[in-house]
Amino acid sequence: MNLDTKMLTLGDVEFKSRLILGTGKFSDTETMIRAIEASGTELVTVALRRFNREKPDDDLCAPLARLKQIKLMPNTSGAMNAKEAVRAAQLGRELSGSPFVKVEIHPNPHHLMPDAIETYAAAKELAADGFIVLPYIPADPVLAKKLEDAGCAAVMPLGAAIGSGGGLSTAEMIKLIIRDSNIPVIVDAGLRAPSEAARAMEMGCDAVLVNSAVAAAADPAGMANAFALGVQTGRAARQAGLMPKSDVAVASSPLTSFLGK
Amino acid sequence: MSCSHPTSHIPHSTIASLPDWLDPEPWLNRTFSSADIERALSAESPDEKTLAALLSPAAEEFLEPMAARAQALTRRHFGRTIQLYTPLYLSSYCLGGCAYCGFASDRDTERHKLSFEQVEIELAALKKMGLEEVLLLTGERTPQADFDYVLKCVELAANHFHKVTIEVFPMSEHEYGRLAEAGCTGVTLYQETYHPDVYPEMHRWGPKSDLLDRLAAPGRALAGGLRFAGLGTLLGLSDPLFDLLALYRHVRHLQKTQWQAGLSVSFPRIQNETGGFLAPHPVSEKQLAQIIFAVRICLPDVPLVLSTRESAAFRDGMAGLGINKMSVASKTTVGGYGNDGSDEGQFDVNDRRDVETFCTLLRQKKLDPVFKNWDAAYR
Repeated sequence: MNLDTKMLTLGDVEFKSRLILGTGKFSDTETMIRAIEASGTELVTVALRRFNREKPDDDLCAPLARLKQIKLMPNTSGAMNAKEAVRAAQLGRELSGSPFVKVEIHPNPHHLMPDAIETYAAAKELAADGFIVLPYIPADPVLAKKLEDAGCAAVMPLGAAIGSGGGLSTAEMIKLIIRDSNIPVIVDAGLRAPSEAARAMEMGCDAVLVNSAVAAAADPAGMANAFALGVQTGRAARQAGLMPKSDVAVASSPLTSFLGK
Repeated sequence: MSCSHPTSHIPHSTIASLPDWLDPEPWLNRTFSSADIERALSAESPDEKTLAALLSPAAEEFLEPMAARAQALTRRHFGRTIQLYTPLYLSSYCLGGCAYCGFASDRDTERHKLSFEQVEIELAALKKMGLEEVLLLTGERTPQADFDYVLKCVELAANHFHKVTIEVFPMSEHEYGRLAEAGCTGVTLYQETYHPDVYPEMHRWGPKSDLLDRLAAPGRALAGGLRFAGLGTLLGLSDPLFDLLALYRHVRHLQKTQWQAGLSVSFPRIQNETGGFLAPHPVSEKQLAQIIFAVRICLPDVPLVLSTRESAAFRDGMAGLGINKMSVASKTTVGGYGNDGSDEGQFDVNDRRDVETFCTLLRQKKLDPVFKNWDAAYR
């Protein structure tokens, strides 16, 4: 039984699924599509650099655009600075017709850590230009609030490095982001296991974005389904209200008995 | 592997002439046990010692676990994909004296250079093959193929291809900057060998005989505005352990000094029969596989490249096993794609399969051939 009736709202668009999928790293398009279908996702991100209108069998955009149940979110992976990201976002919107953009700026192509300064500049400009902006960011609570003020539709702090499977290594920072955010918080990158997605949702994240964990699994569609269940479980647990955690036992002889009744 | 007698012939006085950040000397002449190899295989922070261990004779018994680790790391960082590119030879004129090269100035090979019209024909032929990344090649700087010629060819290629890279003569930072503005994204520049004794024997005259100038060139290219630099050592010229340790240190140095650089490593291998040149330190396929696994384990997030110099069977086996980027349908002659390129190439192509045949094989191996992985928007 799914008690979750509240939709995930990004900009003016509502989503029933709280799992977003990345589309890179799959062995072939059919495997990717089967994973998307098994995940029940309604929003997928695709890199502009993998759009190839001139060679259909190399193009990731067209087969995704044919899936009626999902919306496309082009991403700017490959951009080294705000200027390139803005250009890529505009091209992505033109080619896909989607108002969504995942701003992804990682100037070091080896560790792929997001550039907070350039991401902020690009996100602000794109939000002002009418995009529904979801920036991929370091798990920085101050940056997250500044991006909210700049008009972003959500913030997407990393759990660990892209593709690392490092899990929720930034959990404490993500909790601070969630505590003060008025926009959805979506953990993006680093998750390896559905239990980590469940934990992110239990913590209060609004959604989870995964790619490598699914694409690199032995059975991508099976793992996509497992992540969907993990997200649902975590969300349901959050809504049901977790029992408070305490390491202080209640003393059988109360410490405050001397205060009387 | 031939690393088993790594340094017996190397006088230490010459090793000292390499800069400290490159010198592999502290990691040579070590012996490793099976326990050392097991530790290296699971190293959390791989370093020079890890690489030396995995290249050592003791690691030969660990090829299978090394392959498994290499595959897992490749899959994690690059997914189940293989990026494809193709070289385009613009000119075979050369002033260089590379002892091993079919285009060296003392070889009596007939010389050719593509006119700009012929370049367009070649580019159109490559485009028709579906390629989106093209590597433009020349020899050393000559009056026939000078900077302005390369610049114009980059401009022509950038009109058609999202990713244009060069493997030409080293140039100044300013010249690299002008190429970047014209749409060039990266440079491939192999040191060939880092060994200070062997280097002058192999590069007998011409600008390339200056080891340190060549060593500095990838840094100049990146400082000039190119995004990617491909490094490599021509396996077979010198002791592979020396060269691979130096290559590893070169990559790490550039990662620290050019932090935005995208670096990749290639594994060109001279085989004995190529052009009559006898490789003084021949590397077998098995040794090459060990080398690629070792480098993947020590540089988990660096693209590793394998060309059509290698056989179809070896390439098929290595795809995804450390290697995540491969050339395809290469012609090493000037004018080999659209023009009548019937002269001798720079080196022998072993894997002559066309794009479709190779991609079919990759797909059978559950690897996605990726033609476009860059966008002209990022110029």
